[in-house]
Amino acid sequence: MRETVYVLGGGQTRFGELWEASLADLIREAVDRAIENTEILPTDIDAVVIGNMLGGETAGQAHLGTLVSGCLPHHPPALRVEAACASGGLAVHTACALLESDKAETILVVGAEKLTDVPGETVTSALMHAADAEKDSPSGLTFPGIFALTATAYMHAYGISRENLSLVSACSHRAAVSNPFAQFRRELPPEAVSKSPLVADPLRLLDCSPISDGAAAIILSTKRESPVRIAASQLASERLSLSDRPSLTSFGSTRSAFDRALAEASWQRNDIDCIELHDCFSTATLIHLEDLGYCEEGEAIRLYCQKDTDSNGSLPVNPSGGLKACGHPIGATGVKQILDCYKQLTGQAPNQVRNAIRALAHNVGGVGATCVVHLLESIA
Amino acid sequence: MRCSSPRVHRVTSRSPTLTLNPRPFVDHIPALHRRTKELEKERLLPGKILSFTTIRHPPNGFGQEPYTVALIERIDGSRVLAQLTREGKPHAIGAEVIPHLRRIRSMQNGLHVNDLKYEVVKTADIPLFTVHAYVLALTGPCGVGKTTITRSLLSLFSSVAAQVPVYTTRKSKRTDIDPYITVTEEKFETMVKHGEIIAHTVLRDRDDYRAGYRKEDIQAIWKQAKLPIVTTDLRLLEGLSKALGRETILSCGLLPPGTSRRRMLSTLLHRLRSRGQHTEKQIEAQLKVAEADLQAYSDHKHLFDHLLVNDQLETCVESIKELVTPNGRV
Amino acid sequence: MPASILAFGRYIPPRRIETKTIAAHWKRGSEQAEGLGIIEKSVASPDEDAFTLAWEAALLALETGKIDPKNIGAVFVGSESHPYAVKPTSAMLVTALKLENFCLAADLEFACKAGTEALQIVKAMVESRQIRAGLAIGTDTAQAKPGDALEYSAAAGAAAFVVGMHTIKHPGICTIDRTLSYTTDTPDFWRGTGEKYPTHAGRFTGEPAYFHHVETAARRILEEAKLKPSDIDHVVLHMPNAKFPKQAAKKLGFSDKQMSLGFIVPTIGNTYSACSPIGLTFVLEKAKKGERILLVSYGSGAGSDAFLLTMQQDGVPLSLDEDGTEIKHLSYAEYLQSTKVLA
Repeated sequence: MRETVYVLGGGQTRFGELWEASLADLIREAVDRAIENTEILPTDIDAVVIGNMLGGETAGQAHLGTLVSGCLPHHPPALRVEAACASGGLAVHTACALLESDKAETILVVGAEKLTDVPGETVTSALMHAADAEKDSPSGLTFPGIFALTATAYMHAYGISRENLSLVSACSHRAAVSNPFAQFRRELPPEAVSKSPLVADPLRLLDCSPISDGAAAIILSTKRESPVRIAASQLASERLSLSDRPSLTSFGSTRSAFDRALAEASWQRNDIDCIELHDCFSTATLIHLEDLGYCEEGEAIRLYCQKDTDSNGSLPVNPSGGLKACGHPIGATGVKQILDCYKQLTGQAPNQVRNAIRALAHNVGGVGATCVVHLLESIA
Repeated sequence: MRCSSPRVHRVTSRSPTLTLNPRPFVDHIPALHRRTKELEKERLLPGKILSFTTIRHPPNGFGQEPYTVALIERIDGSRVLAQLTREGKPHAIGAEVIPHLRRIRSMQNGLHVNDLKYEVVKTADIPLFTVHAYVLALTGPCGVGKTTITRSLLSLFSSVAAQVPVYTTRKSKRTDIDPYITVTEEKFETMVKHGEIIAHTVLRDRDDYRAGYRKEDIQAIWKQAKLPIVTTDLRLLEGLSKALGRETILSCGLLPPGTSRRRMLSTLLHRLRSRGQHTEKQIEAQLKVAEADLQAYSDHKHLFDHLLVNDQLETCVESIKELVTPNGRV
Repeated sequence: MPASILAFGRYIPPRRIETKTIAAHWKRGSEQAEGLGIIEKSVASPDEDAFTLAWEAALLALETGKIDPKNIGAVFVGSESHPYAVKPTSAMLVTALKLENFCLAADLEFACKAGTEALQIVKAMVESRQIRAGLAIGTDTAQAKPGDALEYSAAAGAAAFVVGMHTIKHPGICTIDRTLSYTTDTPDFWRGTGEKYPTHAGRFTGEPAYFHHVETAARRILEEAKLKPSDIDHVVLHMPNAKFPKQAAKKLGFSDKQMSLGFIVPTIGNTYSACSPIGLTFVLEKAKKGERILLVSYGSGAGSDAFLLTMQQDGVPLSLDEDGTEIKHLSYAEYLQSTKVLA
């Protein structure tokens, strides 16, 4: 990175079915908390970037940049970015680019989503906007269905058993017990995952991250310092439709973004102490870990069998609880991941990884069509 | 410090019938028209299935019944995502399909949407089993590679094979990858008494523990038209033989490479040591068992259909694959 | 020069329901079903309709006869279950079959004889040199009110014929030597606008309706052609059930042997506009060069179309899949669900 981008801190709402809050309410709450926690003045903020996917479809609200900007007394310049489920990560990436190019010195980055104001079928249809409208939607595919196609191929290639696959969601729930912002804070026995109803074969309900409301906000600055800096910020794209991919069991966007991020930071992958991973579906989690290069193809399940992915394990994955247990308000997730990494690196995480100095945030849009990777480092 | 604009009290109705349009975008007439013209350009080509899923909760307009969507590669190399027809042979990765024009859904305004669905005309080039099928049993001494071979087979045949879970009184280990289901001594005994568990024995790890297979599990796998696989030992094999009938078991005994018994044991010793999972004492004990296992191949010839040497994994798996494909056994 | 059938195809959905299953559901003995002589009937899938059935049959005809779709100058589709009251099935087929857009398309309705009417009109257009070749299709996904006697017979299917002048490249399977129609206003069977199921007039559908029209048309065409019943090698009559056509054949002086090839109703049911056309396709597969075929359809309301055809070559079986799609037998509940159109 050309400039040192410091993460000053941030705040978030709880994630979940938040009936009493509108999209604007969620944004305001997250922004308030972020400003409180970082002790900056609202007027210190030069620009606002917000990541959100379905504001138009679920809240009748586009033009979100100015909505957030209006929360601040001086209404700074603002913009909204969108990359499906990677909207939050993309917002952070965009903010880094603005900071590095000197367009701003202190930026408020927000991620927000409000999904429960509209009927379930509307959300189901809207989620397909993350896929290819002309190639994927006409056959009646749903978003879990698209990931299920990768899951079928993955399980066919590597013979993962149902029992073992259930360990993935169980691990996330175990981690979230201590997280006050998580949607689900109870442990989940693997048997419950194996028995949950099928959504799109072979994926079951508890293999899938939930529908959630929520918002998160962080403040990045090149002017003000903090013990945490962003060591790398990389964005990669793949072809939108699964039918155009070379592989059904690997996402090139993750490989590309992570390789470039490691190069940018001059790190090795084993330097990383904890990972906030985009666990939208349990089989996707396995694919991501393999694409990030932490294990051979078909072997990621071993990490879960051996409990290496627990916060006290050799490769802590989603110590916050990830998308599965924290919830997945689409645009908020990428920003919340940075916030959770910040907490780990400043020793403030409820499920603390010991001696966490370097962290990875991995945010994906669509079926691996977009990937945003951030590497964070504690420089205390 | 708080942001300046006051929080507005929510006045909007929380009714779920709030205005927004739940219809898919392709419901708009120009988009529908373009799609019809696209179909006109499409060549009707057969293809094969690369992957599939069953959508349990269809989106608006697609009806109530679940349907299967597949990623299909047509013979000209192009790919398409499309529903499979309900008629047709069972779907599987590699199955061959042909296109049919069908009514995919109807729009709220009364227009019907027609699109291509694919019918499976030839299921994948993998074994088709009859209902009263058989069980593939792999037996062999510790260290010969049963687990590795089983995993390889499961991944080769994942849509038509499944491992039979082992009910056991042993506590599950961190290194367990196989499907063990731990129950109490009492429960195990009850299951044996009621005939739920049809083959059981006492095994030894650090301590003695019981292990067995449930009839229901094997039948459930048969019902799905899949091949049950067991990685087992001599006594369990005998038990299964008695319970299901010897002819129901395709029994493969696995041998370590080596021209003499001594050489074979030496290979096993080397493999067990390199796993690093056991103490020397445990390995010694396992080797004794291994010796007995190898002896069993001579003593219990009738329990084995084939003896295969596991020298190279791929070769051994290929041999087993040949044994289970239709020309090998009906 | 009479026009010829250059190619033909048919499509019968691979699902059946046995009449005894229907009878058992309504707790009736199987006598009524047995009386009708139908063992099982074909049932369309919920994602099929008269349009998709017509597509399958027409595609098979075009592919089997190696007909260039761009040579088709007219498409006539006869059905009583067109997917729309207004939006022609024939027009949708022009696009779906990739036919020449400068093509006449029209939908026909005349109860069960709309398919044979299509054949008459296309023959006329070919012979008057208005078109080089045309498609004549009969297709139906017939609906019957649950519990009504028609439930035993109302079935689904389609047949398609490419009609043109025979050439050296397309020698034609049979010539359509002669055709006539006999029409009256007879209220034996009808369906009002907006009604889901048709109504029929019980025993009145016999003598004054089916038998009168079929026999009149048959006798007249034989007379005009100066032929005797024994000159005909194969007879296909409309089959609302198994009994009527047999009785009519007997009265007209035809034997069971002459009827056998096209007598398909016991295992398929009455596919309405596709009924006698599908029967004709079975004959065309097996008949020998030089043999004569008499086809007489019947449509309620009422009328009969009669045809005399002569085989120009030995019949060739259609290339349906070797093992074909497996026939699935439905329970009554599955059958009812199928008859509801996809929501």
